Amino acid sequence: MTGAFLAALEKVGGVAVCCGTLQQAVACLAERVRGPLLLPPSPSLQRLDLAGQLRAAGVEVVSADFHQRAPAAGAGLTGANFAIAATGTVVLESTAEATRLATTLPEQHFVLLDPRKIVADSSAAVPLLRQLHARLPQTFLAYITGPSRTADIERVLTIGVHGPKELYVLLCEGVSDDLLES
Amino acid sequence: MSKQRSRQYKARIDQALAAPRLQETLHRFADAYLASRENAFAGHDFQALRAGIAAMKDDVRDRREEYLAQFTRNAEAAGATVTLARTAEEANAYIVSLARQRGVRLVVKSKSMASEEIHLNRALQEAGIEALETDLGEWIIQLAGQRPSHMVMPAIHMTKEEVAELFGKVTGKVEPAAIPHLVQVAREQLRQGYLNAGMGISGANIAVAETGGLALITNEGNARLVATLPKIHVALVGIEKLVPTLEDAHRVIDVLPKNATGQLITSYVSWIRGAVPCGEGRKELHIVLLDNGRGALAESPHCRDALRCIKCGACANVCPVYQTVGGHVFGHIYISAIGIILTAFFHGLENAAELVRACIGCRACVAVCPSGIDLESIILHLREVLGEEEGIGAGKALVFKRIMRNRALFHTMIRTASLLQKPVTRGERTIRHLPLFFAGLTEWRSLPAIADRPLRDQWSGIAQRVEKPRYKVAFFAGCLNDFVYPELGRDLVKVLNHLGVTVSFPREQNCCGVPALYSGDRETATVLAEQNVAALLAGNPDFVVTTCPTCTMALQRDFVDLLRDHPRWAARAEQLAAITIDVSRFIVEKLDGGSMLQGLAAPEKVTYHDSCHLKRGAGVWREPRRLLADSGFELVEMAHADRCCGFGGSYSFTSHPDIARHILNDKVVDIEKSGATCVAMDCPGCLMQIRGGLDKQEKPVRAAHTLQLLAELLPPEKS
Repeated sequence: MTGAFLAALEKVGGVAVCCGTLQQAVACLAERVRGPLLLPPSPSLQRLDLAGQLRAAGVEVVSADFHQRAPAAGAGLTGANFAIAATGTVVLESTAEATRLATTLPEQHFVLLDPRKIVADSSAAVPLLRQLHARLPQTFLAYITGPSRTADIERVLTIGVHGPKELYVLLCEGVSDDLLES
Repeated sequence: MSKQRSRQYKARIDQALAAPRLQETLHRFADAYLASRENAFAGHDFQALRAGIAAMKDDVRDRREEYLAQFTRNAEAAGATVTLARTAEEANAYIVSLARQRGVRLVVKSKSMASEEIHLNRALQEAGIEALETDLGEWIIQLAGQRPSHMVMPAIHMTKEEVAELFGKVTGKVEPAAIPHLVQVAREQLRQGYLNAGMGISGANIAVAETGGLALITNEGNARLVATLPKIHVALVGIEKLVPTLEDAHRVIDVLPKNATGQLITSYVSWIRGAVPCGEGRKELHIVLLDNGRGALAESPHCRDALRCIKCGACANVCPVYQTVGGHVFGHIYISAIGIILTAFFHGLENAAELVRACIGCRACVAVCPSGIDLESIILHLREVLGEEEGIGAGKALVFKRIMRNRALFHTMIRTASLLQKPVTRGERTIRHLPLFFAGLTEWRSLPAIADRPLRDQWSGIAQRVEKPRYKVAFFAGCLNDFVYPELGRDLVKVLNHLGVTVSFPREQNCCGVPALYSGDRETATVLAEQNVAALLAGNPDFVVTTCPTCTMALQRDFVDLLRDHPRWAARAEQLAAITIDVSRFIVEKLDGGSMLQGLAAPEKVTYHDSCHLKRGAGVWREPRRLLADSGFELVEMAHADRCCGFGGSYSFTSHPDIARHILNDKVVDIEKSGATCVAMDCPGCLMQIRGGLDKQEKPVRAAHTLQLLAELLPPEKS
């Protein structure tokens, strides 16, 4: 399943980084993040104290005042509820505004994904989608497949028009195996 | 018919035809689209997927009140405000008044065809509210003061140089015409808009009754910003976007990107339900459900399948007329085949009148429609409605009603015409020039002369010697075979006799009625259908064989439809449809002719042109190829083998000869590039068009009906 996900992600211009440990993931982030990193609330990332580890690695982490800080931020980091192998899609419950700001405005979006959360295809995704709808009265759920793209000028594919120009999926076992948690 | 309207429309065609870069762009796009679409659907069953969408959408159409109520209930429970706008005016009034009440000065918009449909930007502007389009293509055309020329790629008609010039006016600098740079300019210029705007307006691809949520299927990420940053989000949603469940939503998501752009999925699918958090409080979400003619469309028995449309734009991508003139000519707000139908219902029949006639009827759109809409049939129906409302023109009315319905008179007149053309043909079988005002007709293709003696007058002299015939078949020749290419009838007899079949020619057969039907004269078509059903069934043949696929469709499809409600004729029309068969399929399926003709041909390079109505109407394309290959010809495929040749009957003579000429030129180029010395086809109309084009351009390639090539392999007739 992970292989299929990686192949599909690569096809849409996403970058997968297989991290053996969380330390590797932190190091990878520290190396690649350009500018302040938005870190919206996320149960799994909070449990692992990503913010602390990233700060220790020298990353400027933003975890409050998102509305003000987002326009000038360089990157956003989120977890993922689950991912879809067939299309290389990350599914992220983004009801909290901070999550949406972190994944729409900056040029880089990093996703920390536990490979155990990868499901096969859209038909496996639908029951999960339904459960996510049932948990909250209002919902903003996002399928994210690669970076933002356009082909509106002469149908030439160009990456990064309004949303992130770079999408990194850091695969790291041990983040979370709860498909409803981000 | 409005003369002024027609004149303006013709002027738009001329203008588009004078822009070769537009055609180049659209042709390149079409080729790339076909390749990426094929990749995207690899390993998927397109027929099953589209049957699923069609069934789901039909259910929604029939139970729309119920689903609308369910959607509204759930959306309101999640904190959204839902309103149903019956008309464009109601929708505009609601949105404008909301913006005024909230003191909104700037609105950011993501792409919404529904907002184009109701001219929302104009309404906002008139109220002093600025509307900023943020989809790259929409922003480009907003800057250019134009309307979209494609549903998915609104600015496909523009070059990067034109875009650079437009952007330069915004930035006050000279912007280089490099696409990555231009995209970056758009990113920077539009970013502040999201942050400043008091309202975001989007459309929606799907409204899910089960959840009361919307789904937006996008690539650029602007819809996510439009739905996130401003305090107020207005989603304008046509009521046909309703689906019952999340599974049904996925039917659309699994097909729409593949069929629209050849992507497995778009960069983003956003599922938005209710008033999500925004700043310190909650977002204000208003869902405006738009009827504006959709309810009426749902009630139209002939046209209602158009409501299945998921707005993928594929019908434009594959349309030869669209590729030739673009969406500003072949469209109103909605473009191409589906656009014709939606225009008629959303913007009035008068705005669709010219477009209804601009369809060449090649059914390329029908083959790729992800919802299984028979677009061509609906367009034909609208043509009939227009024919009834506006008339079909005095000349056509005279020919169809007074002449064609009287077979003896019609055929006498054609015979007379063959005598009148003598000074033009000078004994040749091809007319290269016509005198005076008819000259335009032969400017770009030679035309065949009407035969001295039609097939019907030669028939009794054609000897048939078949011992113990395997089948007795009747031949429906159609006008072109009968009066222009009678030699094809002789070829047919020769080949079928060789394969053990005797052929009769029922003399009472008349024109199949397609010219009348396609011109909007259903009444004449019905009279001709009755005459032909009677004539063809009279001899009780095993099969009725045809050599013209348009006639085949008439016998198999149109007669049944035309005579459905006539107790005397309905069953007989069905009976005729059941025994009607294209001759190449007959030879392959019923006679195993391939093996009987095996290896007779010299290995000449032959390419094959698929006639629209043969491949996409009768479903025949493997059979003639197999016959040619089995006989020993070296079959080489040309590019776009199943693209229309531009004939289209009266389309290439009277209604749109200039478009037809361009489509023919494309075909001639493809034939030449194949390297074949002969192009085979199974339609006398295509033969007239392609042979005429090759002759006029003096290309050393022979055009022939497959039957002619097969007949040439057999020993000469003894008569």
